[in-house]
Amino acid sequence: MSKQMIISVMSQDRPGIIADITGAIYELQGDLADLNQSILFGYLTMILIANFDGDVNPEDVIARVSHIKSPTKLDVIVREMHTPIEIAPDGVPQKTYIVTAQGKNKRGLVHGISSFCYHHNINILDLATTRTGDQYTMILQLDLDKVESIAEIRQELQKYSEQSGLHVVMQHHDIFKVTNEIGF
Amino acid sequence: MLRSDQILATVEMIQKENLDVRTVTMGINLLNCRRDTIEATCEEIEGHIRNKAGNFVEACDFVSRKLGIPVVNKRISITPIALVAGGYLKDDFILLAQALERAATAVGVDILGGFSAQVEKGMTRTDREYIASLPEALALTDKVCASINIASTQKGINMDALTILGQTIKDIAEMTRDQHGFGAAKFVVFCNQPGDNPFMAGAIHGIEEADAVLNVGVSGPGVIARSLERLISEKGPNGLKLDEIAEDIKQTTFRVTRCGELVGRQVSDMLGIEFGVVDLSLAPTPTVGDSVGEILHILGVDAIGAPGSTAIVAMLNDAVKKGGIFASKTVGGLSGAFIPVMEDSLLAKAVGDNDLCLEKLEAMTCVCSVGLDMVPIPGDVDAATISAIIADEMALGMINSKTTAARLIPVPGKAAGEQVSFGGLFGASPVMPVKNVGKSSRFINWGGKIPAPVHSFKN
Repeated sequence: MSKQMIISVMSQDRPGIIADITGAIYELQGDLADLNQSILFGYLTMILIANFDGDVNPEDVIARVSHIKSPTKLDVIVREMHTPIEIAPDGVPQKTYIVTAQGKNKRGLVHGISSFCYHHNINILDLATTRTGDQYTMILQLDLDKVESIAEIRQELQKYSEQSGLHVVMQHHDIFKVTNEIGF
Repeated sequence: MLRSDQILATVEMIQKENLDVRTVTMGINLLNCRRDTIEATCEEIEGHIRNKAGNFVEACDFVSRKLGIPVVNKRISITPIALVAGGYLKDDFILLAQALERAATAVGVDILGGFSAQVEKGMTRTDREYIASLPEALALTDKVCASINIASTQKGINMDALTILGQTIKDIAEMTRDQHGFGAAKFVVFCNQPGDNPFMAGAIHGIEEADAVLNVGVSGPGVIARSLERLISEKGPNGLKLDEIAEDIKQTTFRVTRCGELVGRQVSDMLGIEFGVVDLSLAPTPTVGDSVGEILHILGVDAIGAPGSTAIVAMLNDAVKKGGIFASKTVGGLSGAFIPVMEDSLLAKAVGDNDLCLEKLEAMTCVCSVGLDMVPIPGDVDAATISAIIADEMALGMINSKTTAARLIPVPGKAAGEQVSFGGLFGASPVMPVKNVGKSSRFINWGGKIPAPVHSFKN
């Protein structure tokens, strides 16, 4: 019987690091199901899902990945997933919206907008932020499926925008898709 | 996830450049609404429109709220009324116009087009009755728009109809004298009129169309102007060539068209009505910052109408089409930049400053859509001269196989240079001078037809 594991790795980035990590999984005869990675200021973080034979344990994966030679240590967390995931459905949920929030940088901006989402039953699907000079930009991909009134959320966001001093805009994901992708 | 720069560029377009959908227009076939009496026909038409379009405005508003893109106008176009009303007399047509007004009001649309006839080859008795009804029909209604196709590349120009229409236009204006001849702003004369145009006053639901269809008109020139300003400020006035500017217009139009198509398709899904076309026309509004004239300024002529204006309009028109055609599954309608004088604040100003004359405007209509549009002229210009101005515009369309139109407003009691204002989307402008008045009547009095051009014989 196979086991599905979720593996998280964080390390300083260098050429070949992805080949090494996936190589370690390959040596354990693991099969990658999905992978997501991101680099921020020279640090790599990766989260991946892989299937292994029944006799491979999370400790084996940690041992193998931790032993990869690298200038900095690789921090690894592995968990066995007891409810296997299905293949992710195509596309995004129907009520996916994109919120952009821009303003002068200060502490607590991401906390503020993410708390807003939490209090209004909005799930954050993705989040990216950038800082240019003293301007901070947050781009959130949100699932508003559990929200009853989009109009109400718009009003609340307007209030939040006034309170926080951020310029907040919420638009449906479809608009970004159709204006930026060739297929429609 | 989409890239951050793409997201921010799109947000910029929606927030700062006032992206909107100018109109969603529902075309409705009325050919099955004919009944024994005029009263029963009126009732049937009213009921049919209420039935088809009852949820139309609500659906547009819902999609608009969901996507966060305003839909400025919700409109209806109908089968040209003269085809529905065969055998009816002038007074019957007036009753029909009033029934259409009631229906448009009941379903909450802004305007209704298709009080129309098609006479490019010849006029039936019904068509003549229809024409006779126009002054009263347009004076007694607010939302009803009329149009007539009197010419085509295939059939030539019906000069008999055009002779009558010069006087009809004067009568329409006179009948609405207390509104400065506003009735004439709701009436357009066409060559090669398309059956799927969502813009007014010339929208009809062509007889080639299905029972009901949704057509969309995209956002105005403001989006293009803001994008060009940004490009020029980034690259500096010396860091750009015209082909790069054309490319920017193309890409902006792609995005604008996509938004229009998205709104149209979602409304059409909600209503279970077939989606027709996206009309790529750049339609200005009197709002500052939403002007085709402004684009001419940005692209380098200090006066609209100065040499170079026609070339700029040609490039603009072409770039808009190239961007839009790839963006949309189905493009149609007029699909070209409009230069309606009263509806474009900078064109209107150019008339007041004597920069833009009727002849230059006519030249510009050779390379764009849709013709001499919303041009206020002195009320004392004679009928034959009006017919002759329209004949010139029709000839451009006929020979160049394109749509052209004329919406001239002979403003009662006003002379060249005096200001006239209709308010709202219809705008304001000084009255445009007309040269050589009264010198074309011998030509107009011939009547008959201008035969179809040789290149129409393609079979």
